Amino acid sequence: MKNTTSLACIIDDDNLYVRLLKKIILTRKLCENLLVFNDGRESIDYFETLLQNLNEDKIPDIIFIDLNMPIMDGWEFIERFTKIEKLFKKVITLYIVSSSIDPADIKRAKSLSNIKDYLIKPTHIKELENIFRQTA
Amino acid sequence: MQKEQIFPDVILNPDVGYWQINDNQISWSASFLDIIGCSAQDVHIDLNYFLYTVLEAGQRDIFRYNYFRLLKDGEDFEQSLTLRCKNGILKEFKCKSALKLSQKNGYSNSKIISFIPLKIKPDAHVKDDNFFYRETAEMNSTGSWYVDFIKKRTYWDQETRRIFEYPEDYIPSFKHAASYIAKDHLELAHQLFQQCAAHGKSFKTEIKALTAHQREFWVKAIGKPVYNDQKEIVGLRGVFQDIDDNKLKELSLQKTAEIISSQNKRLFNFAHIVSHNLRSHTSNLSLIMELIEETTDETEKEELLASIKDVSESLNSTIEHLNDVVTIQTRTDQNKVKVNFQDALDLVLKSIISLIIKKDVTIHSDFKQVKSINYIPAYLESIFLNLITNAIKYSQQDRTAIIAIRTYMEDGKTILEISDNGMGIDLEKYGKNLFGMYKTFHRNEDAVGIGLFITKNQIESLNGEIFVESILDHGTTFKIQF
Repeated sequence: MKNTTSLACIIDDDNLYVRLLKKIILTRKLCENLLVFNDGRESIDYFETLLQNLNEDKIPDIIFIDLNMPIMDGWEFIERFTKIEKLFKKVITLYIVSSSIDPADIKRAKSLSNIKDYLIKPTHIKELENIFRQTA
Repeated sequence: MQKEQIFPDVILNPDVGYWQINDNQISWSASFLDIIGCSAQDVHIDLNYFLYTVLEAGQRDIFRYNYFRLLKDGEDFEQSLTLRCKNGILKEFKCKSALKLSQKNGYSNSKIISFIPLKIKPDAHVKDDNFFYRETAEMNSTGSWYVDFIKKRTYWDQETRRIFEYPEDYIPSFKHAASYIAKDHLELAHQLFQQCAAHGKSFKTEIKALTAHQREFWVKAIGKPVYNDQKEIVGLRGVFQDIDDNKLKELSLQKTAEIISSQNKRLFNFAHIVSHNLRSHTSNLSLIMELIEETTDETEKEELLASIKDVSESLNSTIEHLNDVVTIQTRTDQNKVKVNFQDALDLVLKSIISLIIKKDVTIHSDFKQVKSINYIPAYLESIFLNLITNAIKYSQQDRTAIIAIRTYMEDGKTILEISDNGMGIDLEKYGKNLFGMYKTFHRNEDAVGIGLFITKNQIESLNGEIFVESILDHGTTFKIQF
């Protein structure tokens, strides 16, 4: 077993947040590689294409997904992703990372069995370290 | 007595009372005066005197109806009556008009009504029932009606006449029933009536009726078919209840509920901005601070400080948007003024002239049908600005962008239509979010997701509506109803 996560995926339209998250992950070497998408549509396209040619190295171990995004929001992504998740034959841990503190969002996230946790922004450095340690 | 002599001998009978009507002049026989216990000196020989002091209250309408039918149309009638007789005793009579008889005897212009005493005592219960029925009808403003298909006649009771503001002797028209219904509800009325007449389908509906004075008012209309022995529908009967007060209250309540619901939606959007958009900036800020505190690398620190500038800019624009939304709610009290469509459009085009030149956009405008409108000028300009810049933003790369703007009237309301030949939008997918805040559907860098939200709110705050039609790759049409 490796002691770092090999591939993490961030789906978020807030470029600044992505930049900061990247910085934290890379400087602390929390994972080896990072995939970044700006909205749900881009990322679901990636995963659906990946299915046609399964390449273990390109399947992330962990996904951080924002809820409020243009074109395809987080909920729609999760719905689409849930349908194909099993086909990857790999444990992919899904985290929702949102600045929404709306109880309705939190409740909805908890009702989905494949969502590991609902993280409210800002995600603190310690919190991120713990998450990556668990996944690795 | 003088008057006595004009009554024809053939029908003279001391127990029977007679009326003779000559050209609206009523004469009462001595026997009739005797029945009601009056002498010729202390009585007003007059229909109303009879109706209100002699006749049992519940029978007034029917008698009056029959009486005027006899006078106007020469229709004979026969009905049972209860009269207050000598010493206040109630007695039952059979009341019969004898038009044909009087004609036969050469009294061609006079009409005779006879009151033949019956031996039975009036039934107290029936009398009470009538009284209560009438009281109930009056208190509920509920009148009854009957349409007779065989005789081609319509009958109304007194209460129906009252709520429709017709005089007491009014005879409703069979042919022109449409004149009792408000214009915009005629079709509904016609449909219900036909369904009932043809298929025996009863109806119970709320409909706008029209009084004699052409005043529109709401009634609850209930109707049922009337069958003959052969099970054929020979007429319709039912009631009208004046529900104008309640209905108007209900409608105004409904309107209030709509306003509240739209305000609530706006409030919800506020909550959303605060919960999501403001929070995303502050959370970025705190994450930056956390990183600054941890790092010892000076260049990294500087980089992080520079990103604070980005956050501050985004925070500013979010707060500006918030301000735009707040001003919509407060501005609605502002007075509307006459705004010329062309002037407002010119002003907007002038402000975005560089964009129009750069993207080579063709704009056609036609305000011939409706030239101006009473509106808040800033709103009209903002509507133009948002919809035109949207059309330019989402124009199709491979063809010249053409935007057509026109005004016209529809159902008495002014319509402003703005169409483009741009990329269009998948309404099935995005329709419900189209006017939402911070919703964008295109991979377009300058998509902010605030314009349509503001536009919709401005239009709705002035009681208008906005509609959209779109075909992917063909274009989009926004229709604003003022």
